Formats: sequence, C-alpha cells, structure tokens
Amino acid sequence: MSIEIRNISKTFGDFAALKDVSFKVETGELVALLGPSGSGKTSLLRIIAGIEVPDGHDGAILIHDEDTTAISFRDRRIGFVFQHYALFRHMTIFENVAFGLRVRPRRLRPSERVIKEKVNELLKLVQLDWLGDRLPSQLSGGQRQRIALARALAVEPSVLLLDEPFGSLDAKVRKELRQWLRRFHDELKITSVFVTHDQEEALEVADRVVLMNEGRVEQVGTPEEVYHHPANAFVYKFLGNVNLFHSRVEEGKVFLGELPIDLPAESAPQAKSALVFVRPHLLEIEHQRNGGDNFRARVTHINAAGPLVKVDLMTDWGAPVHVELSHGRYSSLGLKREDEVFVRPKERRVFVKAETGDESRNQSTSGGPRA
Amino acid sequence: MATDIANSQTVQGQPIAIGEPRWVRVTLISVALLFLGIFLVLPLIVVFTEAFKKGVEVYVQSIREPDAASAIRLTLIAAGIAVPLNLFFGVVAAWAIAKFQFPGKSFLITLIDLPFSVSPVISGLVYVLLFGLQGWLGPWLAEHDIKIIFAVPGIVLATIFVTFPFVARELIPLMQSQGSEEEEAARVLGAGGWQTFWRVTLPNIKWGLLYGVILCNARAMGEFGAVSVVSGHIRGMTNTLPLHAEILYNEYNSAAAFAVASLLTILTLVTMALKAAIDWKSQVEACEVRAIREQALAEA
Amino acid sequence: MKRAFRSHSILPGFGLTMGFTVFYLSLIVLIPLGATFLKTFSAGWGHFWETVTGARALASYRLSIGASLLAAAINSVLGLLAAWVLVRYEFPGKRIVDALVDLPFALPTAVAGITLTAMFAGNGWIGSWLEPLGIKVAFTWLGVVVALTFIGLPFVVRTVQPVLQELDPEFEEAAATLGAGRWQSLKRVVYPELFSALLTGFALAFARAVGEYGSVIFISGNMPMKTEITPLLIVTKLSQYDYAGATALAVATLMMSFVLLFLINLLQWWSRARYA
Repeated sequence: MSIEIRNISKTFGDFAALKDVSFKVETGELVALLGPSGSGKTSLLRIIAGIEVPDGHDGAILIHDEDTTAISFRDRRIGFVFQHYALFRHMTIFENVAFGLRVRPRRLRPSERVIKEKVNELLKLVQLDWLGDRLPSQLSGGQRQRIALARALAVEPSVLLLDEPFGSLDAKVRKELRQWLRRFHDELKITSVFVTHDQEEALEVADRVVLMNEGRVEQVGTPEEVYHHPANAFVYKFLGNVNLFHSRVEEGKVFLGELPIDLPAESAPQAKSALVFVRPHLLEIEHQRNGGDNFRARVTHINAAGPLVKVDLMTDWGAPVHVELSHGRYSSLGLKREDEVFVRPKERRVFVKAETGDESRNQSTSGGPRA
Repeated sequence: MATDIANSQTVQGQPIAIGEPRWVRVTLISVALLFLGIFLVLPLIVVFTEAFKKGVEVYVQSIREPDAASAIRLTLIAAGIAVPLNLFFGVVAAWAIAKFQFPGKSFLITLIDLPFSVSPVISGLVYVLLFGLQGWLGPWLAEHDIKIIFAVPGIVLATIFVTFPFVARELIPLMQSQGSEEEEAARVLGAGGWQTFWRVTLPNIKWGLLYGVILCNARAMGEFGAVSVVSGHIRGMTNTLPLHAEILYNEYNSAAAFAVASLLTILTLVTMALKAAIDWKSQVEACEVRAIREQALAEA
Repeated sequence: MKRAFRSHSILPGFGLTMGFTVFYLSLIVLIPLGATFLKTFSAGWGHFWETVTGARALASYRLSIGASLLAAAINSVLGLLAAWVLVRYEFPGKRIVDALVDLPFALPTAVAGITLTAMFAGNGWIGSWLEPLGIKVAFTWLGVVVALTFIGLPFVVRTVQPVLQELDPEFEEAAATLGAGRWQSLKRVVYPELFSALLTGFALAFARAVGEYGSVIFISGNMPMKTEITPLLIVTKLSQYDYAGATALAVATLMMSFVLLFLINLLQWWSRARYA
C-alpha cells in the first residue's frame, strides 16, 4: 500500500505548518519524517491519518492510488500509534487491543472467540502476552508502547503511522525498541511512516528519510544518501556533528586562515560570504605545514575517554574546531594541550550565503578530497 | 486542548475529522440552552418583572418602608460582624493548617467543612438548643435577662456559623499549594512573624482572600434557613432581608416581597461579577508571572 | 526524647493560631453540636424513636430523600449535557451562560424559593402552559423536585467541566483511528473518564438537596404527609417547643445523610481503585 502525499499545505491560525509538501512512500517501506520541532512532521502524519484535514482542495493523500479524503475512518484502515500511547485507562490491556475489533459494525464484527484469538496472537507478537489482565497504569513506558502498537495492528491496517514512538522513553529502552521495531517491520512488511526529531534514530531504523524544516521537505533519500550527500546546509547541520566556519569571499575563493577553498561552480558571483562545513572525523591534524592544504590552530582540550579521541582547537582567527581522531593516530601524534598544529580538511562542503543571508535556501555543494 | 476537536470539524463539504455532525451539535446546544435558560436566565427576569409589577412607586415604597429599612439594617449588622470575624478565623486557621504538620489535621478540616454538610435548619436548631428557653443555658440566660434566641445576637451567631468555612476553605488549599518556602526564606533573612505574614504571605493569598470574603458576605446576607429558626420573625426587630421577603410573600404582598428580593438579587449579581473579575485578574497575574519566569530562563 | 506534637518548623505562631482555631471551633461548632446530641436523649429513648418513625416523619423522609435523589439524577444528566456544550462547542453568549451557572450557588435561598414558585404556579411563566397539559408543579412534590434541581445545578456542571476541559483529545483520536464511530467513542472512551466526576457531582448535589429549606418551602405547599420536607418538620416541632422531637429528627437526618454519603464515597473509592 503506497502512500502518496501531493501538495499538502496546512496553516494553524497564522502559523504555516506545512507548505506544499509532496513525496511518495513505496509499499512495504519504513520511512522516517525527520526534523526539528515546528517542522510540520507531526502535522503531516496526522493529515495522512485523517485526524487533521489539509487546507484547500489542491492537496491530496493517496493510499494505494486512492484519494483518502473521500473515505471515512473506518474504511481507511490506518493504524496510528500516538506519542503518549493514548491507551484507554479504564480498560485492561486485552480490552485495549480488542477495541478496534469490538467496535466494528455488527456484520463485520468477528465473534468473541475469534477476537480473543487475535488479541492473544498480537500480544504474543509484541512479546507481552502475560499482561492481558493488567491496566495501562501498571505497565512501563516501553510496554505501553508495544501495546499501543499491538492495538493499532489489531484492525489489520494497510498503513502504520507512528508519532515520535520512542520520544518519552529513556535512552537505553529507546535503543532496544528501535532495533525491535526494525526487526518487527522486516517481519510484517506493512508500509510505515514514523515521526522523529532524533536523527540517529531515523538514520538507524528507516529505509528512507524525509527531512523537513519549517513546513517544507528539504531532502528525501536513504540514510546513506542524506548523510553523505546532503542537499543543503540545513540537512548537513541536522545530521551528525559538524564544524561550521563563516568566511568571507575574496577573489572567488573562500579562505580558512591561509587555506583557499574554491567556491562551488554554480554559486552567485557576487557572493560576499560563505559557510564551510566539515565533519569532525574528516579533519586531519599534522605537526608540519606539509604542502599547505591546511590551516593553523592551537589545541585547547583533549578528551580521550571513548571510542574516538575528541580534540578541541582554536584557530588563529578565533574559530573553534572540533576534531575526532582514532586512538592510533592520536598516540602517533603525541598531542598535548597548547600544541600549535595544522588542521587539514579531507572533505568539506561549501554553502554560499545569499545576499539576503538566508543560508539554507541558497546552496550548492562542492569539495571532495583534495589530495 | 479540548476545543481542538471542535475546531477540526470542517466546512465546505470535506469530511469531519473528529466530532459530532452539525445537527447533533445544534440539537445538544438547544436542549442545554433550554435547560439553562429556564433555570438560570428566567428566574432573574421574573424577579424584576414581579418586583415592578405594580409600578416603580410601589417598588420604591416597599424598600423605603420602616420594616424593610430595619431588615436591611439587621442584615448589614449580621454580615458586618460575621464576615470580619470569619475572615480573621479563616486566615488564622489556614496558617495553622497549611504551614505546619500535626496529627488530626484532616479531622480539623472536616470540622471546618461541617456547616457545608449540615442543613441550615439544623445549624439554627443547634443554637436554639444551646440558648433557647428550654436549652442548656436557657434558664441561666433568662435569669440574667439576656436574650439570644429570638433576638439579634442569635441571628448574628447563626450567621457566623453558616459562613465561617468560606474564607478558610478558599485559603487552605491555596496556602498548601504555595508551600512554606517563601516564609521560611523570609525568616532566615531575619523577618519577624508579623512581617513575614504581612509582606510575604498576604500578597500571595490576596486574591483567594478577596474571593473568600465576597462569598462569605453573599452567604451572610442571604442566609435564610438558619436565621429563620433563631429569629422569631418579629417584624421590625428580628427580620433580616430574606426573612422580611418571606413574611411579605406569605401575606400575599408579592410585589413588595419581590422588591425586597430584587435587592438581594442585585447583591448576588454584583457578587458574581466580582468573582469573575477576581478570576480574570488572578489569571492575568499568573500569566504575567509565568512570562517573566520564562524570559528570565531564556536569558540565563 | 519527647516526641513533639508537631514537626519542627521555623515559622512562628503555631501555638497562637492553633489555639485560636480550636477555641473558635469549639465555641461555634463543637459546643452547640454537643448540646444537640445530649438534648436528643434528654426526653428518653422512647420519644426519640416515636418521633423518628412516626408516620409524618416517614412521609417527610420519603419526600426529602426521594426528591433529592431524583433532582440529583436530573442534574447529572442535564448537567453533563450543559458541561459538554460549554466545553466543546461555541455559540453566542456562551461566556455569560457559563458565568450564570454559579447563580444557584450565590442566590439567597428565599429569593430562589419565591421566584421558582412564581414561575411554576398556575399563572406563572412556565406554569401557565404546563397546567393546561395537566402537569401541576407548584404545591406538589414535582415542585420540590424542580426547586432541588435548581439548587443542585452548579454542582454537577462545575465538577465535570474541568475534567472535560483537561481530557486529552488523543483518546478520542485513537478511538476514531481504530474505527469507532462517534457515539461508540463517546460511550466507551469519554464517558468512563467522566464517570468519577459525575458521581462526585451527584453526591454533592444530593447532599445539598437533602438539607435544603429556603428554596423549597415556598413551592412545596407544605402539606403534612404530602409535601412536607423533613427540615420543615423540624422547624414545626421547634415552634411547638418539642425540642427533643426536633432534635431527634435532626439526628435522624444527619445519620441518613451520613450513611448515603458514605455509600457514595465507597462507590467513588471503588471506581478510583479500578483506574489507579
């Protein structure tokens, strides 16, 4: 069951939550809607579910190529898992999961025996079959989450939507459930869309990621695509750690200290300043100049407690730099605080700042390994 | 929050997301308004139409005439004594209960709530039993020619009894939710007991206090059952405004009765307006405090 | 170590405030109440029993308690509706109507009494077109129910309103996404959330109605054995100087209310335990 989002816009009062959003989710995919708060991802999810209605008549949601605006809730067969689970407090776990089946109109309603079977099957699927008689208040957050999922699956939806499914859980439980959800999806293969603001989660779990910011789609792609080939500054900044240098443009090049960097070919000729992005693990530290593909900096802090060594430096024009080195490289360098070293970017992205200063809009990429 | 569901109902032929169909809404609103209209709006209209039925002249006369005037006076005296006393009690009791821990607290609170759970008739009865001719202190009082029941003191006592919980009930939960931190801070900074109360506690409870006083006063002036029992219904002497209205009504002098009732109704409407104003004011203040706090956090 | 009566606090005034509180309460509440109970039995157990179970008394209990239950029930249904409409819908004049809900609370009972009588009497605004239909309200038990409904109106509305206001829309959204129709959603998901508040409102309205005097005695007609409420019977006994009889009835009323409220409290505790 594919989901096609076509030209969806939505305003709440004078706040524009969604501005002409379009993309497609293929059948069986697990897609993440990723973005900061206020990016519109939850609003979009709710519009797909039918809980909110988009503005105007141009937008449409097509599920399996059928326009859903004409279909009532009952017939949409969409499963929705809420951020705070919304389990019915006065019903047992069993009754919660059975709810969708019990409210079906008479002729479509399965017998109580069949309902019992299905519910138990689902509880076993989420590995919580011994909790049937408990009340939601007696369950932990992670357990409630899985029950909310079981409840949504009871009505055999063709599409599964999850709103920040792991948002209210602590870090360890979150990681476990993340992997669990991935395996779960691989087994069931239901077309699923989930909303998250946690980029690690999105990149780890999803087949494809839709990056959203301020009501617009910034990029759609697989986790590898969006991480290694970000479409613009926003995506680059949002995914993973990054060093960001504001630099002025002189004679068609941008300078990091003494290091000149070419501007991207498509950039505007009158560009006055640019942003240079470099990932911490793509910076090399050397003690000698060695050909000059580098800029000068002074070591201010070293943190060697972890899988990588994190080194903080300060350039001589006052910009902080964060570098991640392997332990091997670190010990061969013999770095100490206050050392004067040279930093060489192995790969970087340059984004040109437009006249209006709207950096995320006017972008182009460049750079690649120079050596 | 809850109105989001109402707002998500759409127009222009698109399916309603979540909520009742239009015809259901209209029907429910109509039925509710009918019910509320009959029980809330109509009585207000009726009081004033009945009061002015015989014309403005009769209305003014009913209020000016001596028995009515003395009823007004007695009502004001009863309220004038009961409200300040109960205000004082309310503050004192709330301080003892909210700022300290001791056993038997819930029993104390239950006792304070007592007049609310007891029929007003029983409230009055209790004083008759104590001070009436056949009561405990009856003979002793008769000996010393002190009249309490069927006289003004009895009325004042009964009024005090039925209205004393109001201020306390407002202040206790308020002060409990505010905690003692600010007062303790003041003490540590060297403030004396009185100063702590005046400068720290009082400003924090001012809206709750005002609220309690207004409710206390409304009830004090309007009390009927308890006062009726202890009063003796002596025209011109032991009748408060509500009792005077009763007498007039039982004499089939309905225009005069409603004229008196209209005075009490105006008092009620003023009370309700003050209540609403205090609600609004205290909410505005709470919002301002929150905004200042958020700004401070943002700048930190 | 001597265990202190209260845990140590640096705030002053405990002794003073506690002392005054106890003093005031004793003076105003405890002593008079004590006198009541003592007086009850001064005329002996026989008189107590006779008064409390006499035919006139029994008729008055039937009326007072019966009418109070009915009025509280009516208020539960219509009050729930009113709360729903005030929280979920918009309509012109909503804020004024909302503010007016407190009227029965604030209005002096005597004013309510004579006004309701004027409204529902044969020549009154409402009475004048109910009577041709054969429905007589004033001076019948129906009038008592009407008056008690008026008096209890704010209790249900004001206890249900905040609960409804705070109710997370997610529950209804979840029910809808699971395929429940609107009515099913309301019945199975929303109503159970409101039940506890409804019960509380019912109990409060009932408790207030049972002891109500001023709003009822004008519209009821006060015919012994037919439309005489228990509080009125108490006042009558007093005016006949049958102090012991009046007290007996007062104690009986207190006992009955106590038992009924205890039962309702039990019901509330049970329903809270279910959800907790």
